[in-house]
Formats: sequence, C-alpha cells, structure tokens
Amino acid sequence: MEQLINDLKQQIKEALNLEELSLEDFDADAPLFGEDGIGLDSIDVLEIIVLLEKRYGIRLESPKEGKAIFRSVRTIAEYVQANSKKN
Amino acid sequence: MTNQGWAGTTYGNEWMHRWLIRLLRHIDVRILYVFTAVFIIPVCLLLNPSRGIAYRYFRRHIGCGRLKAAWKTYVGHCLFGTTVIDKFAMYAGKHFHMEVEGYESFSSLAAAKEGFVMLSSHIGNYEIAGYTLTSKEKRLNALVYAGEKASVMQNRSKMFEGRNTRMIAIRPDMSHLFEIDLALQGGEIVSMPADRIVGSQKCIELDFLAGKAKFPLGPFAVATGRSLDVLAVSVMKVSSRGYKIYVTPLPYDKEASRQQQIRQLAEAYVAELERRVMQYPTQWYNYFEFWTAKK
Repeated sequence: MEQLINDLKQQIKEALNLEELSLEDFDADAPLFGEDGIGLDSIDVLEIIVLLEKRYGIRLESPKEGKAIFRSVRTIAEYVQANSKKN
Repeated sequence: MTNQGWAGTTYGNEWMHRWLIRLLRHIDVRILYVFTAVFIIPVCLLLNPSRGIAYRYFRRHIGCGRLKAAWKTYVGHCLFGTTVIDKFAMYAGKHFHMEVEGYESFSSLAAAKEGFVMLSSHIGNYEIAGYTLTSKEKRLNALVYAGEKASVMQNRSKMFEGRNTRMIAIRPDMSHLFEIDLALQGGEIVSMPADRIVGSQKCIELDFLAGKAKFPLGPFAVATGRSLDVLAVSVMKVSSRGYKIYVTPLPYDKEASRQQQIRQLAEAYVAELERRVMQYPTQWYNYFEFWTAKK
C-alpha cells in the first residue's frame, strides 16, 4: 500500500504540475480539496480521473462515490488497490 | 475575471415564469417583443449596470462610435429580451424555424463510435435549438447550472423527453465531473458552455475582440483529456420566428502535449466565438466585465 501511495503522489504531482510540493510534504492523509489541504479543484479531479484510467485501468462507475474516493491520496490508493485492472 | 454579478439563473421568479408561459400559449411572441422593447427594456437600462457594460463592449471591442454604441446597447438588450421570450414560448409549445449550417459535422461524429464534446457560449439563444442537435445513437448530456429556477428545469426536462437527452447539473460535490466522464467513456455527447468561469477558477487568458479575456479551463480539459473531437455550436436569432444554428469543428493537435492541446483548443474556440460575435454583435449576452485588459 505504501508503495502505491508513493506512486500516486508522484503521478499526481506530475499530472497537476505541483512543482512547489515535495513528496515528503505531500501528506497521504491530507484533504486534496479545500483550503485545509492540498487545495486542488474540479479541473484537477478531471486530470486524476484520466490518470487513474490510463495508469490503472480504473473507471469510476458511480458519480456519488467520487467525493469519498478523492478525499485524500490514501483513499484513492485504497480504491485503486480494490479495483485496479492493470499491474 | 470571474462572472461576478451573474446569478446562474434565469431572471424573474417562478410565478412570473409560469404566468409568462400561460400568456405565450395565447398570444403572438411579437406582441411581447414590442411590449418589452417599449416598456421593459428602457426601465432595465435605467436601473441595471448592464447598460454601462454593454456600452463599453460596443465602444471598445466592436469599435462603435458613441451614438451607435448607445443605440446598439438598447438593441442588444431588446434582442436579449426576445431570446428570453422565445425560450418561454418554446416551453409554451411554440415552434421556431431552424436552419443549420454545418450539420454534416454533427452527423458524422454522431455516427462514429467515440463520444464528442459540443461547446456553446452565451451568444444568441443556444437553449432554444442547441439541444435539438440530438442523435438516436448517442445520448446528449447537457451541462446546466444547478441554481436554475424549478420552472425552467421542469420545462427543460419536458423538452428533452423523447430526444435522447438528459441534463447534468453543475454541483459543488463535483459529481457532475464523474457523470461527464462516464458519458464520454460510453461514447455519448456532452454539451457545455465554455465562455463563463463557474466552479473551478482555473482559466486561460486569450486575445479576444481587441482585449484579453479569461476562459474556463474545464471544457477544454474535458475534451482533450480523452482526445475527443469538439464542435462549437452557436444558435443565432435571424428573424422573429427564425434561428440559424452554426456547427463548426474545432481542430487541435491530439499528439501535442496536454497543455498545448488545451491551448490550441481554447484558441480555436475563441476564434470561432469572435467570428460569430462580429457577425452578430448585438447578440452578445455576457453582461458582466468580461475583459481583463485592452490589447
């Protein structure tokens, strides 16, 4: 799981051009959205959706689950681990 | 520049909307056009800051002189009034003559396996005819503002019945993004406006009509994320009972980097928007401070 979290951090950092954020400072449990966390927004969600599909073959089937899945890097990793079709 | 001052909803309360629909079942739209132009628009121009915004648009971005800009400000507001009346007339069951330019661009994409994106803007009257570009094979998903009045949403739903069309409302929980993505994954059509910044503040600043303006990144990111084909669709009023629908493919290099694809697509959209606005300058209805700077 920790390896997957680190991979996701790296890929999200690259996909969203978060150059100012080091991997050490990228807390896996920090909220991805809102002022208390990383501060991503809806456009960033789109990028992560595409990333998950291309890298892990994951297609989100239920829009209502989206908010819970994208709460933090750890929740994304848990979802990827449970649903990944690649690797 | 965000769309400050725009409430994301049609003007008037629900009672007014229902009353207007009832009235339009019985009278000719042209009677309401005249009533609006003589009694409503002059009052609106006196009370509403859109007067100054529209005047500056005609002066700085269309290049009109003072008198012409003042006259076109009045005409533009009257035309805006007619498009609102037409929308409710359609809800009341009235029909308008539609002519389509570039329908083959739509039909060829509708016949293909992949989904595609249609980008609209707040010029003319997209709602009255944009959603008539539907296909039996592909469902059309129309992205709409969730804050619209119930009367408008109910009438839209009625209009969409039997047309293989559904609405996706923009919501704070971002569920609309997942719905859009699922629709495109499934080879469907997604229609969305691309000239107003709603939700995400991420935007791209481009040259537009003798100035610089910010456009939302979202619509361009959605399309390029899956390397989808994109059409610009504008519906312009050409007579009291007629509209012309312009369907234009927007090219971009699908092999370019992600950021370049977004920029190329945004530039193609803005070029098409500029062409259409210059053709119908009084049908520009972004009545807020749209431009960030003069060129």
